[in-house]
Amino acid sequence: MPLSAYLIVSAIIFTIGVVGVLIRRNPLIIFMSIELMLNAVNLSFVAISSYLDSADGQMFVFIVLTVAAAEVVVGLAIIVSIFRTRRDIDVDDMNLLRG
Amino acid sequence: MTGVQISFFVLAVAAVASALGVIIFKNAVHCALSLILTLLFLALFYLQLGAAFIAIVQVLIYAGAIMVLFLFVVTMLASEAADTELPDRIPWQRWVAGILGLTLVGTLSYLLFTGTAIDSGPKATAANSLSHVVNTQGNTEAFGQALFHGFVYPFEVTSLLIIVAVLGAMVLGRKA
Repeated sequence: MPLSAYLIVSAIIFTIGVVGVLIRRNPLIIFMSIELMLNAVNLSFVAISSYLDSADGQMFVFIVLTVAAAEVVVGLAIIVSIFRTRRDIDVDDMNLLRG
Repeated sequence: MTGVQISFFVLAVAAVASALGVIIFKNAVHCALSLILTLLFLALFYLQLGAAFIAIVQVLIYAGAIMVLFLFVVTMLASEAADTELPDRIPWQRWVAGILGLTLVGTLSYLLFTGTAIDSGPKATAANSLSHVVNTQGNTEAFGQALFHGFVYPFEVTSLLIIVAVLGAMVLGRKA
């Protein structure tokens, strides 16, 4: 398969993630959409790594994977602590830095 | 059509459909399961591209560890998070988001079809090319060699990042 085919699948999945962040109101699903975007970028990294016949793209995938894991851990901890204080997880209501 | 092409199109349609499921389903548990499906299809893409180690890591860490954490939090917040579809406060938000999304994917595809930057990029030399190392030593060995020869410093920074994330989660999760 040509490289551009993989890159277009990656672009479509990335756009689905962007639209998900724009239209959903539940912060958990917004997090899942961010994961979709990270994975779309990973797909293009692996495709370009295979196309250029170099392992460098796979190193970037490894680092993106670690960043995604760290981001999910901290983000879900923030969501849980918000939920503990206000019992309500609409993103539009989270407009205070304290409270 | 060859077998590679058929498997590519089947995988592409399945991956895009399950990715759409993530943003369409109402119930957060269904969204999480759809995201797991997307991650598994992407792992199959990686296998097709010859990156077996990345594919296994994707299944173990993403579909295993990260999504278990997600589902755990979804069930913990189940009363609020799982079933309610929150009402839209801006009525035209979905339409604008759809139009912006179409613009983004159209622009990206146009640039991918007309751009020449990727094709003129440098190819690796024959001796240290990925396929050579994979054929002589194996897939995981090629990954490890590249990681610990050229990317030792980013690898160490990665461990620092994980420590900071663990400390942050402990501070946030502690009883206030």
